Amino acid sequence: MSRKILWSVVALIYAFMLAPILITAAVSFNAVERSYFPPRGFSLHWWSMAMTPQWTGPFLFSLKLAALSAVATAVLGLPLALALRWPSFRGRGTLQALTLGPLVLPSLVTGIALLQFLTLAGVGNWIGLPALVIGHVVICLPFMVRTLSISLDSIPINAEIAAASLGASRLRVLIEVTLPLARSGGGAGMIFAFISSFDDVNLALFVARPGQTPLTVQIMQFLEYGFSPTLAALSIISLLVPLALVALFGRLVGIGNFIYQDHGHA
Amino acid sequence: MPEAALELRGLTKHFGASVTVGPIDLIVRQGEFVTLLGPSGCGKTTTLNMIGGFVTPDAGGIHLAGSPVETLPPWRRDLGIVFQDYALFPHRTVAENIGFGLRMRRVGRAEIARRVYEAMQLVRLDGLGDRRPGQLSGGQRQRVALARALVIRPSLLLLDEPLSNLDLKLREEMRIEISTLQRRLGIAALFVTHDQEEALTMSDRIAVMRGGRIEQLGSAREIYEAPASAFVAGFIGSTNLIRGSVIAPRQPGGTVRVDTGAGPAMIPIVGDLPDGGAVLLMIRPERLKLASPGAAPEGTNAWSAQVVRTIYLGGRMEVRLRLRDGGTAIAYAVNEGETDWDEGEMVDAWFRPRDAWVIPGPAEDSDAQATNCLR
Repeated sequence: MSRKILWSVVALIYAFMLAPILITAAVSFNAVERSYFPPRGFSLHWWSMAMTPQWTGPFLFSLKLAALSAVATAVLGLPLALALRWPSFRGRGTLQALTLGPLVLPSLVTGIALLQFLTLAGVGNWIGLPALVIGHVVICLPFMVRTLSISLDSIPINAEIAAASLGASRLRVLIEVTLPLARSGGGAGMIFAFISSFDDVNLALFVARPGQTPLTVQIMQFLEYGFSPTLAALSIISLLVPLALVALFGRLVGIGNFIYQDHGHA
Repeated sequence: MPEAALELRGLTKHFGASVTVGPIDLIVRQGEFVTLLGPSGCGKTTTLNMIGGFVTPDAGGIHLAGSPVETLPPWRRDLGIVFQDYALFPHRTVAENIGFGLRMRRVGRAEIARRVYEAMQLVRLDGLGDRRPGQLSGGQRQRVALARALVIRPSLLLLDEPLSNLDLKLREEMRIEISTLQRRLGIAALFVTHDQEEALTMSDRIAVMRGGRIEQLGSAREIYEAPASAFVAGFIGSTNLIRGSVIAPRQPGGTVRVDTGAGPAMIPIVGDLPDGGAVLLMIRPERLKLASPGAAPEGTNAWSAQVVRTIYLGGRMEVRLRLRDGGTAIAYAVNEGETDWDEGEMVDAWFRPRDAWVIPGPAEDSDAQATNCLR
């Protein structure tokens, strides 16, 4: 009995999450230029519209931006997480606060601040891809450092000491023991960075430029003139492609345990 | 004579103004098994960490196989360390764990495979090479840790409470297994533990530590039968410690009389005992015998005592006694099925002169509870 209730609740939650997506998918097959549901007629017209350079350009740009942001976040987050772990590190508290600070800042504010800062610093020409990467790294770094720290904390206390006693120099200990064991945290952080960069519109609104516009901003601009089933098709594409990439990456890095449940390393 | 496997000279580490470990002087000979035994906080782990290179000493020297290592980083010290939590690499297989030290030493791949195989046979882990540490039992993990430390053929094996995470039965097995292996390989080992039984069963020599210093260094027999202090006497085994004072006269080679609240005792002279000086008389419970009043054998020390309680322990009886001055003592009576001592009964508690041991000096305050201590 209670099992039935449990499954009904689960089904309801899934319906609540998936129904809008299914409706959107259905809308993209309309034969008329209105977003009807249920769709009227069947046509792939809006899908072919979504494949035109007007959309594929920003889509590919978004993928590139997300990938660059994920890598840059990892490259910066790793030394940070390692430094925060160092017990005798003096600026630890300060650095921790600075690292986790952007978490409470709306990305809209970060976007405005970044725009003003780049302009004032005389590097206004960074607006576009470089500024977007910088902004997304700032937003994602706190998560990266958190997930990395959790991974690093799960390393058996003496494993690194044991490696040193067996003849591994500091660098070798890092490469042989620390980094492999921090992999799942780093992978989770990268996936998070990739997704939030791909989804971000708040910050991108301020520091994108024509020709270097992510898909989200392009959609926003298009929405000012109305809605067409093209957007529905686009939504599905921009849902599935990153999902597939993330799944592939997660498989390579072995992320599952980290996101769902950490079995710990015994 | 070959160089000692390990030599510590005046090794010292300060923690703040009040806590100091050392100075510690200790030699571990080639092939010898030496144990640092002491309660937690006595400095034994700090000593181990200084030898391993994980804690920098404030003073003193560490020599491994004759050469000074105190300035070398841990990875140049050529030590095999087994940790309390095993410290295996969870992301690597058993074989990779064991071969790690060889790989760091740039040993060829075929050679690594051969030596890892040998090491796994040595610790009876054949066929488990592809498992991960998470798939092993506690005892198996312990063996992996041991093989990983031994396979590099270190000049010294350091064991940091390696048995304390195992259950009792396994612990007893591993005790024998480790010391058998150590003897067979002829490797010098320094073992850190707070478990007196481990120390007694495994060691060639035991260093009993207290308050950051070695209080006594000697064989298991010396430590047990001729403790240098009330602390050592009380830390290892159960013991009766009875306050007394030395009474003149004493002749060289003869015996000396010690008066205690429970009665006088004649015992052989050991070392320099100041006439009239305060001493502690130590009698192990198994050396304290019981007899009906007046029936103690000739030439022994006999004290009148009252049986307070007898505890049946199967192979032996633990008899708790009240001595003449109100102090307590314990005697172990072998359960031969003959005698039973009733509670309240008056008996003679007797011991041969050589069964008592005199610890010089008055009881320190901190030892007060160790007097007539019941462990």
